[in-house]
Amino acid sequence: MADLSPAEVKSLGHAVGLELEEPLLTEVTYNLNALRELIDDVNPPELDQVEPLPIIPPHERSSHE
Amino acid sequence: MNKADLPFLSAAALGELIRKREISPVEATSAYLERIDALDGKLHSYITVCRDEAMQAARAAERAIAHGEWRGPLHGVPYAVKDQFWTKGIRTTGGSRLLADFVPAEDATVVARLHAAGAILLGKLNMSEFATGNSVYHPFGTPHNPWDLERNAGTSSSGSGAATAACLCATSLGEDTGGSIRNPANNCGLVGLRPTWGLVSRYGMLGACWSMDIGGPIARTTEDCAVTLQAIAGYDPHDPYTENRPVPDYRAALTDGVKGLRLGIVKEAMEAEFVHPQVRAAVAQAVANLKGQGASVDEVSIPLMATAAAVTRAILAVESASLHRHWLRTRLHEYDHNVQIDFLTGAIMPAQLYYKAQKLRTLIRQQVFEGLRKVDVLALPSSSEPAPLLPQGAGLKSKDEARQRMSGRRSLTGVFNLANVPALSVPCGFVPVGGAELPVSLQLAGRPFDDGLLLRVAHAYEQSTAWHARRPSIT
Repeated sequence: MADLSPAEVKSLGHAVGLELEEPLLTEVTYNLNALRELIDDVNPPELDQVEPLPIIPPHERSSHE
Repeated sequence: MNKADLPFLSAAALGELIRKREISPVEATSAYLERIDALDGKLHSYITVCRDEAMQAARAAERAIAHGEWRGPLHGVPYAVKDQFWTKGIRTTGGSRLLADFVPAEDATVVARLHAAGAILLGKLNMSEFATGNSVYHPFGTPHNPWDLERNAGTSSSGSGAATAACLCATSLGEDTGGSIRNPANNCGLVGLRPTWGLVSRYGMLGACWSMDIGGPIARTTEDCAVTLQAIAGYDPHDPYTENRPVPDYRAALTDGVKGLRLGIVKEAMEAEFVHPQVRAAVAQAVANLKGQGASVDEVSIPLMATAAAVTRAILAVESASLHRHWLRTRLHEYDHNVQIDFLTGAIMPAQLYYKAQKLRTLIRQQVFEGLRKVDVLALPSSSEPAPLLPQGAGLKSKDEARQRMSGRRSLTGVFNLANVPALSVPCGFVPVGGAELPVSLQLAGRPFDDGLLLRVAHAYEQSTAWHARRPSIT
């Protein structure tokens, strides 16, 4: 996966109402690209067999028991 | 007993002497306050010392006990809490300039429960900004490790680790999102328990990452951890995520031993090349000790263990950015530099990246539970190495540096936060580093609500060793 450029990261910020400027922009770019790489590198075979589990609060659980 | 020696007692021993009226809460509280005055200028473990309130509470405890109204093992015992928990009328900063003037109108549930148990609040303890763990700038002073002042006391409950190890409180509370109780416990030679998510109320606790945050005890002994947990655990109508189930007697079960228990040593943690050889040896020896007491030992695999730190980072970044979304737009530059970077990263993270991290979390949780179907308790190091030097300077110079920071070289704790199971750190040795002897720890993890079992295993180990009796020589 190719790294995002600072301009692309700036656009992601703009999309959520955050105007990222230097010097923070460069560091956020490093940080986001590192995280993308670390998560992208992990592809266990079971990945497509699971979905995130919503946490069901105890009070909602007990009301259906 | 000499007044200056009182702070070195365990919380349980001090509580017993107070119950027998051999020591008064006023004597004990004033001994701790004097020790804080003498030493905390070097440690910066406290943000706020509640001198007047503590002495007033101590006098009230003394009167109550004299009238036969003893409330339990923490009555009259001085404690302190991470500055992440609301305290009525006492500022609660979260270790941040943004909350420097925030004075809550009520206590967090855990603080209210400790108050009801008769414990005496000495003050509010220093921490990484908003419990994020990466902050370098501490607006209320940088916390130092009492075993070596140049070293990190552990993040993010740094003050809880430093103050408890230096005997500036009898017991303390920390908060653990990715390891923030077990990390200071490891770095400072203490017992720290991350309780089962849902066992302890989070009402009135400043959030870092709602799906992983939980408060718990950091203490000098397993017994102190048990009595502190006893006071704070249990259902709270203010926190819908607490379980409404009976709280067992943790202290009574401490002495049941480990005979017949099945321990699983986590292969990936023990074989990781980055684990300091003396840490690995100390943990192996601790497991052998428990085997000698009658536990059986098997090897357990958590294949995705190495991924846990990055997954934790992704989820923490998004959840904390959501909590701080207003101030990210209005007061961004008041945060620590590294916190700005982490929160902004979370704020703009692509949804598919976050969703994949959540799927990986599900798989990690499944692997932890699979391991816990084969054994009763998992065993591994709390950290790959003893306390590191304090960080010098903030900021990121490259993607590789960011990657290194996130890959969890030191952290072996996050896997249990992702699974939301209880995990405990107990000292298992000392390693010589740069002229100092630094503590290292055994980490134990168990099934949800098996917190008492972890305390029991840790107690069995602790009672057969003397690591917990060592004190840093700070004067």
